[in-house]
Amino acid sequence: MSGEAKLIIQDLCHHYPDEYTGESVHALEGINLQVYENEFVAIVGPSGCGKTTLLNIVAGLLPYREGRAMVDGNEIHGPGPDRGVVFQEHAILPWRSVARNIGHGLELQRVPKEETRRRVQEYIDLVGLSGFEDRYPHELSGGMKQRVAVARTLCADPVIMLMDEPFAAVDAQTRITLQDELNRIVMATRKTILFITHSVEEAAFLGDRCIVFSRRPGQIKTEIKIDIPREERVWKDMADNPKFTEARDKILRLVRQEVTSDDEH
Amino acid sequence: MTSIDLQQARLFKWKKFATEGAGRLIIFLVGSIILWALISEFLIARPDRYLPSPLAVLLSSADMLNKGSLLSFYSDTLTRLVIGGAVGIVIGIPIGLLLGLNRFVADMFYPLMNFFQSVSGIAIFPVVVIWFGNSDTTVLIVILYTSFFPIAFNVLSGVRSVPVRYIQAARTLGASRLQVVRDVLLPGAMPSIAVGTRLSIGFAWRAVIAGEMLAGRPGLGNMIFSGQEFDNTAQIILGMVMIGITWIVLDHFLLRPLESDTIERWGLVSR
Ligand SMILES: Nc1ncnc2c1ncn2[C@@H]1O[C@H](COP(=O)(O)OP(=O)(O)OP(=O)(O)O)[C@@H](O)[C@H]1O
Ligand SMILES: [Mg+2]
Repeated sequence: MSGEAKLIIQDLCHHYPDEYTGESVHALEGINLQVYENEFVAIVGPSGCGKTTLLNIVAGLLPYREGRAMVDGNEIHGPGPDRGVVFQEHAILPWRSVARNIGHGLELQRVPKEETRRRVQEYIDLVGLSGFEDRYPHELSGGMKQRVAVARTLCADPVIMLMDEPFAAVDAQTRITLQDELNRIVMATRKTILFITHSVEEAAFLGDRCIVFSRRPGQIKTEIKIDIPREERVWKDMADNPKFTEARDKILRLVRQEVTSDDEH
Repeated sequence: MTSIDLQQARLFKWKKFATEGAGRLIIFLVGSIILWALISEFLIARPDRYLPSPLAVLLSSADMLNKGSLLSFYSDTLTRLVIGGAVGIVIGIPIGLLLGLNRFVADMFYPLMNFFQSVSGIAIFPVVVIWFGNSDTTVLIVILYTSFFPIAFNVLSGVRSVPVRYIQAARTLGASRLQVVRDVLLPGAMPSIAVGTRLSIGFAWRAVIAGEMLAGRPGLGNMIFSGQEFDNTAQIILGMVMIGITWIVLDHFLLRPLESDTIERWGLVSR
């Protein structure tokens, strides 16, 4: 992969302590992962394998003790604007209008008003929310709320954008639209992205690289390169794109193995 | 939108709110007065003793207005209420916020807060009288004391009820802890702050009436109780009506527009 590694994770392990039983939950084991500039890395794996744990550690929302995690060469300690997060749902602030949610990051960084306004408008247009600037979140559909969340993260211009199943809570039709849009946005902004999903199709459609996790304790099982140019990634053409179907089926088989071997326990 | 546009829009909304509701308010008041007149006229054997008619009350108020005492009672009581209540609320909000933010501080002070909350304003009255005599200070302290707890406890629970997700979202956008308080916790606690403010003012009303009576300070509360002493039922009812109407007006023109501008606009309450 060309470009420099924006995110570097080395030998990362994580145990959640359990205050009641005294035992601990072993969530991650020996994770080594690099995400390069302008790369879209998708992570799939069975439920409970530690995907969210990994993302929270990178976001700085969960302290870690074993291994290392660095963004842009800086060791991760707590959250920061260099790592923007798009959560699954319920994360944009109800008391801020669409425009003020999207501009929140710039406001916190004390960017001048005029520049903030200009950049907010740019991202509102990018996610197709023109005309909704002064609406409040409770007046938006689930899909629109996630568009706001994506625009808010992009507008703050992080080094890497972290997304934890961002489209899992919307209906199937909206999800397809949002995936198409995200793809277009990735082309336009060339953001570096770490994307977590349950959906094998989503991973194959969006990722430059797909990391498959084993069941808990989460380890990297394999990684699959998906060599489809961004311009070709449009849902209506995917059914007869052999590269897509091949990657999807391969990922599906790998995830399946994890889920079924889980059942044998 | 420029800020001037926005201010004008606000003003317009407030005016609309004030006038729209005012009609309904007047219908309600007139209806109540008619009902009251009918009851007094037809159901009560000795209305002047048990339930004087609205007209009698009005005459009694005209009498007192002439003497100048009514207005001065009213403004005395209102001043105490506003000062005592405002100070109680202004102290209560940051303290509730602090307790909501920090488990350690909260665990330390919670029992103390609980202790004093259960000791009502009336119960501390005697000791405040010992300290400050039958003075305005005494009444003010009791009002402040009574109005402090509802707002402090509500802010505390309001801050705690703000979803962690919102805090995390702000933190990952680069918010400092102080910015989290300003942009997330305070607005998120607004519904509770509104409830707490209502409760605090309600409690302050009770405290001011009881306080005036016990400390013998002139005001509406005193007027009500001296009405009983002199068998002047009209005077008692006049005091009650003035308290009630003040509250309705305060609520309608101050608290409700404030709420509709914030928590309703944000979709934090379902109406
Ligand atoms: N705060 C916590 N305390 C204790 N255990 C936890 C905590 N959070 C997660 N776990 C455990 O760690 C493991 C990994 O959880 P995580 O949320 O990372 O999984 P996930 O891969 O994101 O799952 P899903 O796909 O269902 O979202 C799970 O077994 C979970 O029970
Ligand atoms: Mg998860």
